Amino acid sequence: MKGKEDGGLSSTRRRTKSVIILILAIAAALWAFMPFYWALSTSLRSPLETFTVAGLGVPFVQFKPTLANWIDQLSIGETQRALVNSTIVAVFSTIIALILGIPAAYALARFRFFTIKNRDITVWFLSQRVLPPVVTVIPFFLMMRSARLLDTRTALILANATFILPFVVVIMRQTFADLPLELEESALVDGATHLSILRNISLPLAAPAIAATALIILAFTWNEFLFALTIGSRQAVTIPVHMAGAVDTRGVQFWFMAVRALVAMLPPTLLALFAQRYIVRGLTLGALKG
Amino acid sequence: MRNLGILVIAGFAILALALPVFAEQYVTWGKDGSCVLTTLDGEKIEFAPGELGTLFGPGKQPFKGKKIAITVNAAGPKGGICGPLYRFRPAWEELTGAKLDIVEIPFAEHYTKVMNDLRLGIGQYDGFMTGSFWYGDLVGGNYIIPVDDYIKDPRFPKWDPNSMPNSLRTLYSWGGKMYGVLNDADGQVLYYRKDILTDAKWREAFKKEYKYDLPVPPKTWDQVLDIAKFFNGKDWNKDGEPDSGIVLHPKVGEQGMFHFMSLSAPFVYLPGPKVDKAHNLYWFDPETMEPLINSPGHVKALEFLLELAKTGPKAQVGWSLGEAWDYFLRGKSIFVFSWGDVGALVQDTSRSKVKGKIGASILPGCYEVYDRSKGKFVKLDKPNIVGNTTGGSWHGVISRLSKNPDVVYSLLALHATKPVSLWNASRGWTGVDPGYKYQFLPPEGTANLKDYLAEGWSENDIREYLKAYHDNFYAEHVVTYLRIPGAFEYFTTLDQNLSAAMSGQLTPKAALDKTAKQWDEITDRLGRAQQLKLYQEAIGYKK
Amino acid sequence: MSQAEGGVRALWKSKIKFAFLIPAVVWVLIFTIFPLIYSLRMSFFNIRIGQGDVFIGLTNFARVFTNEQARSAALVTLKIVVVAVAVELVLGLALAVLFNRVMPARGLLRTILTMPLFATPIAIGYLFFTIFYEEGGLINGLIPWKVPWLSDPGLAALSISMVDIWQWTPFCFLVFLAALQGLSDELYEAAMIEASSGWQIFRYITLPLIQPTIVIVLLLRLAEALKLFDIPFSLTGGGPGTATQVYSLFTYRTGLRFFDLGFASALSYVMLVVVMIIVSFFFRHLRQIYD
Repeated sequence: MKGKEDGGLSSTRRRTKSVIILILAIAAALWAFMPFYWALSTSLRSPLETFTVAGLGVPFVQFKPTLANWIDQLSIGETQRALVNSTIVAVFSTIIALILGIPAAYALARFRFFTIKNRDITVWFLSQRVLPPVVTVIPFFLMMRSARLLDTRTALILANATFILPFVVVIMRQTFADLPLELEESALVDGATHLSILRNISLPLAAPAIAATALIILAFTWNEFLFALTIGSRQAVTIPVHMAGAVDTRGVQFWFMAVRALVAMLPPTLLALFAQRYIVRGLTLGALKG
Repeated sequence: MRNLGILVIAGFAILALALPVFAEQYVTWGKDGSCVLTTLDGEKIEFAPGELGTLFGPGKQPFKGKKIAITVNAAGPKGGICGPLYRFRPAWEELTGAKLDIVEIPFAEHYTKVMNDLRLGIGQYDGFMTGSFWYGDLVGGNYIIPVDDYIKDPRFPKWDPNSMPNSLRTLYSWGGKMYGVLNDADGQVLYYRKDILTDAKWREAFKKEYKYDLPVPPKTWDQVLDIAKFFNGKDWNKDGEPDSGIVLHPKVGEQGMFHFMSLSAPFVYLPGPKVDKAHNLYWFDPETMEPLINSPGHVKALEFLLELAKTGPKAQVGWSLGEAWDYFLRGKSIFVFSWGDVGALVQDTSRSKVKGKIGASILPGCYEVYDRSKGKFVKLDKPNIVGNTTGGSWHGVISRLSKNPDVVYSLLALHATKPVSLWNASRGWTGVDPGYKYQFLPPEGTANLKDYLAEGWSENDIREYLKAYHDNFYAEHVVTYLRIPGAFEYFTTLDQNLSAAMSGQLTPKAALDKTAKQWDEITDRLGRAQQLKLYQEAIGYKK
Repeated sequence: MSQAEGGVRALWKSKIKFAFLIPAVVWVLIFTIFPLIYSLRMSFFNIRIGQGDVFIGLTNFARVFTNEQARSAALVTLKIVVVAVAVELVLGLALAVLFNRVMPARGLLRTILTMPLFATPIAIGYLFFTIFYEEGGLINGLIPWKVPWLSDPGLAALSISMVDIWQWTPFCFLVFLAALQGLSDELYEAAMIEASSGWQIFRYITLPLIQPTIVIVLLLRLAEALKLFDIPFSLTGGGPGTATQVYSLFTYRTGLRFFDLGFASALSYVMLVVVMIIVSFFFRHLRQIYD
């Protein structure tokens, strides 16, 4: 009987098995981490060493690391401006999306709409999330031109807030729906207004979820490329667009590229680490709980 | 993990805050009105009295409070074309009192961004470091202003359009007016390993195999192919690995069409007394706008290119300039045909192992050229050698939408002055190639060998290099250049199909037929009559 | 419903619900529906900036189906997406099963595994260019062959899939891990007593139980992957030739580089329809969840 054998595995075999599993898990983690390491290693090399250092390119062992590329890149005004732009666009888009999205999510979780069902409104919000950006980028570009908003952070904030708003609505609706009704109902019976209930009872309870959602949408906005490329041309260049500038008519300059890639990737990656608990719910649009 | 990230971010912040505090002086005036400008790296460049124009002087900052933006191919603070703008920015800002915004845009997006700005009348930018192939769009749409009056104006930094060869001056002008300000001179030449090709042992072996003396430099493409075949796969540089005959850089989106244009010119460009339906043509029929790109001459050239590619590393299909040059610099291939950057980069011993070992020449020709009027290839008694101005010849033009054209011109003219132009041409990383009289050595020009040697050039290399460029720009026949609206779109489709042929997805004939079909579609979409008119203007066709 | 409850329910009938909901709805309408209408109009015209537009009916849509570049772009996208999504699902599931056991440092390893998720795609594209680089890149530096990752048309498409796999497998992994951890232990204990191998348990118990999750992840990944733009843009520029010019990239170039706006709008609309078909499947699955 197989089951008996399984249950009766000798302890050495079980140990071997768990060692193998651990090795596999470590291998998977290395595979995920490798490109980050490679970027760091490349960014610390002089242009000549870019191609001559073989294999893994371990700093100090295979070459003498230098901060020259970092200093070169971070000292120019264009890089600093891109960092400022990306930060402003991400923060303001997030604030707008939260201010508009949270009340809407609350309404969908607690009230009932009759002409169009709650479910359908939610699904409609969701459908905005899967809309391919390339579909709207051209008319959006022309709209912004008419509004004289090309190459402004405002235009990027408008666009990004639109992309992440459905996200907020869907995730927060789920969060509010999961909160126990009793508190809010007793407050209602006591005559509190809906607005004060949202502010004083539901929001504090949902705070961790709101924080996590904010981190995820900050990262999304930070990474957005297509609209940033189309809208920004001088003043409103964001980090991803600046990133694309590491490629010139002679090809990719590995050393600058690596610095710019790290500058671009670190903030969203770090943000995401703090939002781990909500990633599953967030990325499956609230369909699944993590 | 987390702490590391926070440390890195804190490090960024400190670096970013600490760096801008070094304020220095970048302009020093002498008593006689001479002037020394200091670059960002602290190099000093001297100007004779009056050379910077009468607007500027001690205590004068004529453009105080003005701000301009110039677009340029993205390359970073030390990259080609873009680098010099960064190096001279502080000096120019101190000289004029104005502020300069350098807007780096990736090559593939640069044209798009600029044309959108102009077509939609936005006026984000004051000037562009443009490629010459944009002229059809820029002048055709009346988007840039001529600079003839500025050139004569004593208030601005001085430069002389007559120091440019005719072939380049035509690229910078349209309909008899100058629009561009001297900067880059692009053309492609053949670089080869003189030390290997003149080595008696190799010469003997070559003669045994091919029954003729190894020619240095090769005069025809067929000879190049023979030599490349002979050396490919042999370890001729003694590094223990087989090396290559040639290295190419045909990566899509990286100007592959330009390299094809240089190579195919002698197969296609039939010299004649004037431009007609068969002579001095490369792109279109001058009466019907029928694309010539799939003519038997072009097809033969592409078939030849594929043959030649076999004598290089396999990975080169996906290589852009940097990777291919690097391969040549590391001493892995006999030939590379490319821009002037290579010659200058060879001098940089931190990247190059071939300093002092190279030869350079105008691109080879071929004996058989396709004649449209006869519908067949004609044999010539000497190789058809055609010069080229392949490339962007990247240089500054002034946007009509700019509110400060004077400020823009002062910047462009400063970069066009002789001292800056010489400084640029003698350094590989600037991406500015030599093409002007004062950059060539006597008898062709007025440059001083000592200056180049002081910059660290090997004497052999600089002589070879300048001679090749002089021969190319002053050649009797120079292949025409495509400057009509939509040039970038025509180029892009050609580039994509060439890349498909190079990577074995299409046969040469199919790739070029496809290109011709797409070109007709573009022409029809943009308006055939209008395109024809501008094409005739651009190539100087008269009935 | 008891009297008291009915009373409370009545309290939820405030008009303020509209004040809460409408701003968000209006915002989305302005910035997505309006552009969509705008581009629908454009798709029936030959748009020529500064020279007036010409109405040409369905010509642009006809071009979508006859234009060779459009067809190859659609095929390339499909190829890249199918390979990427299939591998992501299988690999994600395998990793989830692996991590669904007790092991030392599990939290740390899991955290490292989630790092790729939010890394900037455009940066990743350029970064992988240096990793796939054929002379001195990371991969070819570690293996004895010089694999033409980016210069061979087929491999270039595969390379793009590989980057997508690197970035999105962690997502599948996290979702499946959450699903596995949500399964009840009692089931397994019962299964252990029944005679069955580990594989059988997985095949007959685990898989059917997480099948809804798999479907949701599959549909989500498909809808997301069809938007693919950043990575081909940065890694290969659509090359060699047009071997990796994905649909979004082709649309972008048509519209914003060559200003053939009518054709680009038609291309967008065709894509929109395809994505909507996939998504409607997804929603059929989801309706009950959002109720």
